[in-house]
Amino acid sequence: MEMPKAELSTPSSSSSSSSSSASLQNTKEDETLKTVPFPSAGDRAPNHEDDLRSFLLPEAHHLPVTPPSAIEANFTCYFALDFLKPGHDQYIYRHANGLCVIGLAPTHVALKEEGGVVRVDFNVGKSDRSEMKVTGKRKRNAKHFESNTALCKVFTNGNFFLARCCVKGSLLEVNDRLIKQPDLLNTSGYNRC
Amino acid sequence: MASGEEEATTFLSRAASSLPPPHAIRDLLFHGVCVRCIFRLFGVSEYDDSCPLLKASTLLSLLKERRNIPNAISENGSIANGLTQCPYDPHASGNEQPYCSVCLGILQFTNGHDQDLRTCEGNSVSVLTSAITEILKKEAHQIDGFSIEISLPPVVSANDRAVWLYMKRRYASEEWFIGKLLSQQISVKDALRSLVTTSLESCLGVKSSSSSFCIRLTYIHEEASSKLQCSMQKFHGFKIRKTETYCKEHMVDDLCGKNETISGEFHRCDSDAVVHCTLNAMQDDAFSELFMLPPEKTNNGCKLTISCYRLTVYIGGRYLKFSRRVSQSRWMIEDERMGEASVEEIIGSNTILVCGGDSYKFHAAGREDIDVRMLGSGRPFLVEVSNARVMPSMANIQEIADKINNSNDKYVAVRNLKLVGSEAWNLLREGEAEKQKQYAAVVWISRPVTEEDFNKISSIKNLDVLQKTPVRVLHRRSPMDRKKIIHWMMVDKIVGTSQYFLLHLCTQAGTYIKEFVHGDLGRTHPSLGSILGCRAEILQLDVTDVKMDCFD
Repeated sequence: MEMPKAELSTPSSSSSSSSSSASLQNTKEDETLKTVPFPSAGDRAPNHEDDLRSFLLPEAHHLPVTPPSAIEANFTCYFALDFLKPGHDQYIYRHANGLCVIGLAPTHVALKEEGGVVRVDFNVGKSDRSEMKVTGKRKRNAKHFESNTALCKVFTNGNFFLARCCVKGSLLEVNDRLIKQPDLLNTSGYNRC
Repeated sequence: MASGEEEATTFLSRAASSLPPPHAIRDLLFHGVCVRCIFRLFGVSEYDDSCPLLKASTLLSLLKERRNIPNAISENGSIANGLTQCPYDPHASGNEQPYCSVCLGILQFTNGHDQDLRTCEGNSVSVLTSAITEILKKEAHQIDGFSIEISLPPVVSANDRAVWLYMKRRYASEEWFIGKLLSQQISVKDALRSLVTTSLESCLGVKSSSSSFCIRLTYIHEEASSKLQCSMQKFHGFKIRKTETYCKEHMVDDLCGKNETISGEFHRCDSDAVVHCTLNAMQDDAFSELFMLPPEKTNNGCKLTISCYRLTVYIGGRYLKFSRRVSQSRWMIEDERMGEASVEEIIGSNTILVCGGDSYKFHAAGREDIDVRMLGSGRPFLVEVSNARVMPSMANIQEIADKINNSNDKYVAVRNLKLVGSEAWNLLREGEAEKQKQYAAVVWISRPVTEEDFNKISSIKNLDVLQKTPVRVLHRRSPMDRKKIIHWMMVDKIVGTSQYFLLHLCTQAGTYIKEFVHGDLGRTHPSLGSILGCRAEILQLDVTDVKMDCFD
């Protein structure tokens, strides 16, 4: 489902790889290459297509019952518990390329309140985090944040809570879907690590 | 030498009408003009290299004979009385000739590859030809043709003009000069080209044509060129605005003070093309003021650099990738290789092995991740080979394909490998953005798959998808929203599982498939998960078709 988040890029990003990091599970298939359907020049014969199709189908016993999620496979999950205040639990999912996704952990006090989150406001006084536009490969206009910098205000029926950055870095993007659909923060079924 | 003299006489009878009288020739010789230059300045070409006329003394003596002046001179004899008025003495300096004041030694073949060979007999072009052949042998080049590129310093054509204006000034009234034109001159470049071409053709046994093999002769004369630059500065100095005058004067001082070529960085140094342009536009009187007429003698010859190389060879085809641990291009992080191998290196290294090239460049129509296989008809690619020692034949190409396809590792295979022209570049790039790609993905969803799911997926046609730059590449790509199209989708059941299926899809080029399946934290919308109303994960991905006509 939808993930509550803001994203940052830590200035010292580790990898500048030319292709993405390996992200998919090996299905433990045996690469029996002598059976790879290898078309000869201009081969478009129907039996080649069928060969290919059957080659593509994995064996059921090679597949895990429950595969790891995209987050589990690609990110290292960190948690900042009681960050600056008790009960303010946040997660930081760090990708191998140095980018981090910040959000409210399922144990956050806001999520325990009656009715959960009802409004999210990215305007934290100094600036509206949802207004910024980061452009280009060099990520121009990305604001530099400290770990205690406020990201957004999360409102419940009676209270509001400040979500903090938790890491030092530059803000690339906020989840502006939360402005129109704050309820997404309550449906945390995806929020696993 | 008898036949040589015969040749010389025959030649002279053809050339005589073009050549000036002996006193003019002596004068040119006195001013340091070499014999070959004298011939070409008067439009005399097709000159056999081995002809003994190249010795100034022989030339003069034969000319005397022709004009029936008494006092025939033998080669080793002294100059006859009647000629003592002219200061030129061809025997005075013995075997040593100074460098020609016009061609700066280029047509004297005094430089066979960085050596000073003034004392060689006959100053034959074969000196140069053997130097070239040496290089070809050393580099083991196999050629069936060649083309010659010559680069000369602009000062040489300035010298031609200077000599011409000098003669015009001196002999304008003489009968033989009337009717002669500057345009009748054969340039140093043309003379050199024809000499070298003839000699090389017979030596190598192959013809000169617009070939893929290039022999480049670059002549440089630092001293004469910097003096020319000096004069150019002066010429420009007459026209510039006052505010720049101060700077220019300083530059002129600098340039004239040193006898070295200065790079264009901090001093204004006109390029060869600009110099040629400026000289061509210059009027005769302006020219005469800036340059010495005739050109000064020089103590140094040109430095020659010979380079022989084959123009880029292009080999194209389609590749398949069978491994999930092999990246497309070489992938290094701090000296460590990521991935077990790369498509680029497998194909490139085998190609230059067979072609004997110095280096290669690999290009492909799009790319796939390291963990994604490339199957089906393969992905079009192009390899550029620099300076191949051998022009690959059909057999060579097959050899490359066999080496790759029969290797132990079986990571990569190639098909439809062939030699292509440079237009292949455009072919490769042409359809890249528009062409559709087909994939097969193993997908898992968070609840059992139903028939309804299959129907829903199969009924989708040309679905618009909005993808934010995926998190996994966001560190090196621009954050932007990409609108992509999923053209169609098809599902194969995976027997024995309840939450898995094989998804076939055909999408617009540039679509991120993995993100379309798992949704990339909601940043790709719609996603397979949002369509089915549950969580979806992708376990493996294969490219099954790259729909391009290229190298098909």
